[in-house]
Amino acid sequence: MYQYVTHFTINDLLFMAQGAGITLILTIASGVLGTIFGFLAGWARSTSSRILYYTFGAYIDVIRSIPLIIQFVLFNSFMAIAGYPLNPFVSGLITLSIYISGYVAEVVKAGIESVPETTRMAARGLGMTYLHEFFYIVLPIGTRTVFPSWVGLMLGLMKDTSLIAVLGATPPELLRASQIIITRIQQPLSILLGAGAFYFAMCHLLTKFSALYEMRWAKAQEV
Amino acid sequence: MIEIKGVHKSFGDNAVLRGVDLTVTKGEVLCLIGASGSGKSTLLLCINALESIQKGKIFVDNIDVHAKETPKSHLRRKLGIVFQQYNAFPHLTARENVALAPRLVLKKSKKEAAELAENHLNYVGLADKMHVYPSQLSGGQQQRLAIARALAMQPDYMLLDEVTSALDPELVGEVLDTLRMLAEEGMTMIAVTHEIPFAREAADRIAFFHEGVIHEIGEPDEFLNHPQKARTQEFLRCIL
Repeated sequence: MYQYVTHFTINDLLFMAQGAGITLILTIASGVLGTIFGFLAGWARSTSSRILYYTFGAYIDVIRSIPLIIQFVLFNSFMAIAGYPLNPFVSGLITLSIYISGYVAEVVKAGIESVPETTRMAARGLGMTYLHEFFYIVLPIGTRTVFPSWVGLMLGLMKDTSLIAVLGATPPELLRASQIIITRIQQPLSILLGAGAFYFAMCHLLTKFSALYEMRWAKAQEV
Repeated sequence: MIEIKGVHKSFGDNAVLRGVDLTVTKGEVLCLIGASGSGKSTLLLCINALESIQKGKIFVDNIDVHAKETPKSHLRRKLGIVFQQYNAFPHLTARENVALAPRLVLKKSKKEAAELAENHLNYVGLADKMHVYPSQLSGGQQQRLAIARALAMQPDYMLLDEVTSALDPELVGEVLDTLRMLAEEGMTMIAVTHEIPFAREAADRIAFFHEGVIHEIGEPDEFLNHPQKARTQEFLRCIL
């Protein structure tokens, strides 16, 4: 006989942990895809082509100006109306990737532009081709400059994944899972505190990891 | 041999080069002097196609530098260039700075490139700085690193763009010593410089660049002691 339980159980904790796992997977998957798209868009905007500059400029402008929650609903509905209904996770993942790529693109462009023109000239003066110059000079120098901004984007992305709840994806990610438990046991503060702790743990891990990288670069160049 | 024939170049309305004619033969050291912003640096950049030209021709060993079909990367191996700002690659150690282009462009193995880099760093007196990053080097050391980096490509010509201008006065000497050494070994050089004593002693010819053309050119003694043209005399009076 099913018993209606109104206190926090071990199953609730597992439910939240599962939610955290989904949040993490969504973040990593959309972070990787969004960084790849964003890298290409940012690179395209840094080239001398005016067409690429304005095309991707418009793309970035639109993406960054519309609330993510609207993008989720619009994209999902559009695909359904067009006759290609998607699994809410897939639809959400694509939307998140496109969304974050708009921000990554600007960071990438800033990174490329942070490399002094004279440094690039020195590379070309040594007979390096565009690709040599890009991959061995521009990329490593630019990455060090904008890496912290990129980490910031990824931290924001992790928290933005909670908006996928509007698509009703199951099993739910961390925030939606917490809300479901709250409706049952009516203890919003403690549950949200717990959810916050989960988010913090995951973000903190990413921050620590990136700090490790930055320290390695700094150490190498220490006086 | 570098042959510059009637070269014109402007940035918008600003005509920087207005018909430059100049020939530099193998083994010659030519010092180019002239007021700041007169186009001397632009001329150097045009010689290795880092800047385009609008009229005229430049030949390096009979290769038309600005012809569409000339592979720029290939051409630039012949022409080492060193800039006023040292432009060391900040994310690489001194040895990696020097070894990178030989490895990528000349397709040397990692080991060969490292050896080449060590030899050239030795040559410019940076043997003890192999594994040091540019941020830990003084201006003079960074500039010598830039010279070693250009030399490691085994160029036939060196283009030097005010390589001592950004240096503290006490560091100028060490860089000029390196250049003197190069000149004595017969390296062909075009050096834009304000160091008249260096030009007097190391140059085969000195050229005065003024209003977009080579205004006057001659052997150091003749040029510095008995300049023919009024504008050259005035310029030399100001800087000597």
